[in-house]
This record gives sequence, C-alpha cells and structure tokens, in this order.
Amino acid sequence: MIPNRRRDFRLDCSALLLLLPLLAVSFVTAEPLFQSLTQQVAIAVCATMGIYVMLRLGLLSFAVPAFMAIGGYAAAMLAKTGSANLLLLMAASAVVPALVAVPIGLLVLRLKGIYFVFVTFIFNEILQLLIFEAPGLTGGSNGIAGIPAATIWGLDLESASAVTAVTVAICMVATVLSLVVTQRFRAEFSAIEENETLAESLGVALWKYRTIGFITSAAVAGLAGLALVNMLSTAHPSSFSTWSVNSYIAYVFIGGRGTMLGVLVGSVLLIVLTTAFSGYAQYSAGMFGVLLIFVMMVAPSGIVGAFIRLWDRDGSPRARTAGQRMGEA
Amino acid sequence: MTPLGPGPTVLGVRGITKRFGGLNVFEDISFDVDRGEVLGLIGPNGAGKTSTINVISGMLPPSAGRVVLDSQDITGKPLHVVSRLGVVRSFQQTNTFRGVTVEENLHRASRFGAGADNGLGVEELLEEFGLARHLHEASEKLPYGLQKMLGLVMVLYSRPHFLLLDEPAAGLERRERTQVDRFVDHASRHLGCGVLMVEHDMDLVKRLCPRILVLEAGRLLAEGPPEDVLSRQHVIDAYLGVVEEEQAC
Repeated sequence: MIPNRRRDFRLDCSALLLLLPLLAVSFVTAEPLFQSLTQQVAIAVCATMGIYVMLRLGLLSFAVPAFMAIGGYAAAMLAKTGSANLLLLMAASAVVPALVAVPIGLLVLRLKGIYFVFVTFIFNEILQLLIFEAPGLTGGSNGIAGIPAATIWGLDLESASAVTAVTVAICMVATVLSLVVTQRFRAEFSAIEENETLAESLGVALWKYRTIGFITSAAVAGLAGLALVNMLSTAHPSSFSTWSVNSYIAYVFIGGRGTMLGVLVGSVLLIVLTTAFSGYAQYSAGMFGVLLIFVMMVAPSGIVGAFIRLWDRDGSPRARTAGQRMGEA
Repeated sequence: MTPLGPGPTVLGVRGITKRFGGLNVFEDISFDVDRGEVLGLIGPNGAGKTSTINVISGMLPPSAGRVVLDSQDITGKPLHVVSRLGVVRSFQQTNTFRGVTVEENLHRASRFGAGADNGLGVEELLEEFGLARHLHEASEKLPYGLQKMLGLVMVLYSRPHFLLLDEPAAGLERRERTQVDRFVDHASRHLGCGVLMVEHDMDLVKRLCPRILVLEAGRLLAEGPPEDVLSRQHVIDAYLGVVEEEQAC
C-alpha cells in the first residue's frame, strides 16, 4: 500500500464532514441515549486526535489525559470566575496545555519509542498527584463542581441538546486544528516517522516539528478536556485517569492510525459497542485488549487501512485498467 | 558562476579528534576541500573514515578541533543546520524514505532543501540512471543500485556546496559504478561542489580524485595524488596489503 497524498487528504476531510451529522443529532432528537452517545463520541474523537497527531510523527503519547486535565481545569477555573463564554473557554483550554507542552516537550521529545511512552505515562501520574496536592486551586479529591454551562452571545447552553451541540462543535474545532497541522507539515512529519536521520541530513529540524506536533496534541487534548468538563459540569481527577488513554489508543489503532477517518471510525464503533454491551461493562477493558490484538494481527493498519488496501487491490484506476487489458487479451 | 550561486569556497577541517571514552577513533586530522575539488579519503576498515564524515556533517560532535566554512565555525552544529549551510552527506547503506514512491522521495528532498530544480540538472540524472521510469514505485522496491543512486540524487536538492559521500559505490555492480562517476562529475564540474569521498574501490578513486588522503588507525598517513600516494611502501603495507588479503579470502 503506497500512501497517497491526495487520497489521505480526502479521507481526513471526510472525517470532518462526518462530524456534521453528529451536530444535527442535537437538533433532530431529544432522545437521551442518542444525546449521550453523541457527546461521548465527540469527546473521544477529540481526545484521540491528540494521540493521532503524535502518531503522525511516529510517537505514541500517553500524555493525552494529562493535557485534557490541564485544559479541563483551566476552563473550569475560568468558568467559576464568571467568564463562561464558550470562545473564551475554548481559547483557555487549548492555550494553557499548549504552553505547558513547551517545557515538557523540551524534556521528553528527545526520547523515542518505549522511553517516550514511559515518560509521557508517568507525566499523567505526576499531574494526578499535583491535582490532589493542590486542593486550594483544583478542589483536590472533590474536584471543581457546579461549573456554569458555557454561554455564547448571551445564550445559556444548558439543555442536553445544547451541551451536545457544544461538545460536537469543540470536537470539530479540534479536528480542524489537527487537520491543518498534520496536512501542512505532512511531508516533514512522515519523513521524521519513516527515517529521521535522512530527514535531518536533508535539512529538517527534528525538534521544531516534534514540538509543533506536541503542542498541537496538547491543545487538542485540552479541548477534549473542556468538552468533558462542560458535559459533566464538574472537573474531577477521575475523569482524567491515566488508564483512560488506553481507550483512545484502542480507538485510533482499531479505526486506523493512517488517516483521521480512522479516528472517527474507531471511536464511533467502540463507543457504540461499549454502550450496546454496557451490561458487561466490567469486561470492557479486556474486550478492548482482545479486539486490539485481533486487529493488529488481521489488519495492522486498522479498519480504514484495510479498506484502503482492498480498494488498492480491486478498485484503483491502475488495477482496473490492468484488468481491462487482460480481459481484452 | 555555477547553478548553485555564491557560497563558501573552502571546507576546512582543523585538527579534529574523536574519542569514545578511552577509545581514540581518530586524532588531530586536518585538511581542506575546495569548491569543485574531489578529495578521496581511503583507509582500511575501522580507520575512522565514516566517523570523520559523521563529525564534519554534525551527526557527532568532535572531542577537539574545529570544522570551518571559509571563516565560519560550524563545529558541533547539528546535522540539519550543517545541511542548511551547504555541507550535506550521503549514507553508506541505501537511505531513502521507505514505503513511499520515488516521486514522493524527490518531492520531500526538494521541499526540505532549497526548493525547485533551478538548473540542478536532477531530471537529467534521473533519466540517465534509469530512475525516471520508476517514479511511481515504492522506493524500497527498487533494485539496490537504483535505491543508492536515488539517495545520491536527493542530496542535490539541498543545493550543497560541499558533498560528503560515504562509500557511494559500495554494493554496486561494476557496470553501475560508472553512474557514481557521472554523479560526482556532475556535482563537482557542473554544480561546482567540493566533494569528500570515502571509497574502497581504488579504480573509482583513481578515476575521480586528483588528490587523496589515507587514514589509518585514526591518523592521516599520507596525502597527495593517488598514483604517487598509492605507490608509497608504508601506504601499501598499511592498506593495500589488507585489501589483497581480503580479496584472497
């Protein structure tokens, strides 16, 4: 399977377009199940984009829950002071984690592979500790409760359907941000992922693009944190547990880590499945694990990757003309 | 004026030493490469040739000594900065972006480098080396020789003033080696690059390099025109003797 710049761009854009029907859910139905599913999917897509951006650089970042927490708490503190304007909240929840990502990135972006995984994983644990140890600021183990709903142009976005619309809108902003960065620096990101020594010898400043990726990932995760806090009206450390990152990683690998469409497909599929089998919730982590192993063995490039492979084999223009020629002969 | 435009005229290596712990890889090596010159660097395996290229290109910092471009000190600057300043290396093994097409490899090289062809003559070389027919194939599916030539051609997009070639002919069939001649000739004569070439193929070295350096156990043993240097007894003892033994095996 040879990556194809134009095709991947279309698949990335299709992920963005497919979020539009989710936005419509908030207007066409008041069914709580659909509202809740839509909110969960939007938050998951948003958080998983944070993983996806770093994967484009060949790095698996476990720091997504930490940056979600930073974004979520920043928005919660801001909303508590009385400025619950949605645009302000979005700005704060993206910018604060992005700023924190700069010094953290200086430390961790020298690392690769398992070492990077390790250190970003530990970062979550450290942040959890900090949240518990600074109750004056974060509410400690009580979290920050009673956060007012976001407002925009004087409208209180308090009803369930308004919350759904806000959640999807935040997710769309995060998706656009991920799309712009990964497409704009696609050549550099892929080159670093595939052969960083060669990329550097041809003049690519590795640290610069790794930092751009890390900052973007932090901002996107921060937006997911805002969406989660806004949905729950509470910022609580348990919302950002280290282990939650396992789900996001499962979404992107099962959906297909090559394109943003994979992020959407994986998130929708697994969240719908989790809800459908909610009676067996205690097994969900185990089922994710089994599913992850199964997909890695059968279709290492995920569901979307497997479809691209099939298309390349049967439906691509080149294969078709070759087939026609054989038919003529 | 060459298509590359004005740039530094001399790449100077001033007493560089590289140590790994207590191990001296090479010690107190000095030489100059002029624009348009092809300088050969030969020596037995383990003499420190590749490490010399690693240090000049910025992949490794030297333990002592300086690397200068005219009067600008570039010692210890990172690989990508040295590359931007016009000192670009190639690799001993095939080194392309795997899993993407030849065309995408070239696209990236030109994007990371200084942009379009602008008289570099890359298209011409692609045609001559037989790469032009393979533009839409994955680079790692190409025969070894073509992958290696692709790696060399990509380097030109960085608009180098100085090229550091690490065994460009290694692994190539004899008839493919004339492509290395063609490449080096293009780079030095047409583009006016200074070329430092590490190579084991003595015929190639004699054809291409008016001047060579012999490195043995981390020290410069001899310097001069190949026919003169290669006839000195201590060079023969240190280097060519080893090669003949290797060939006898």
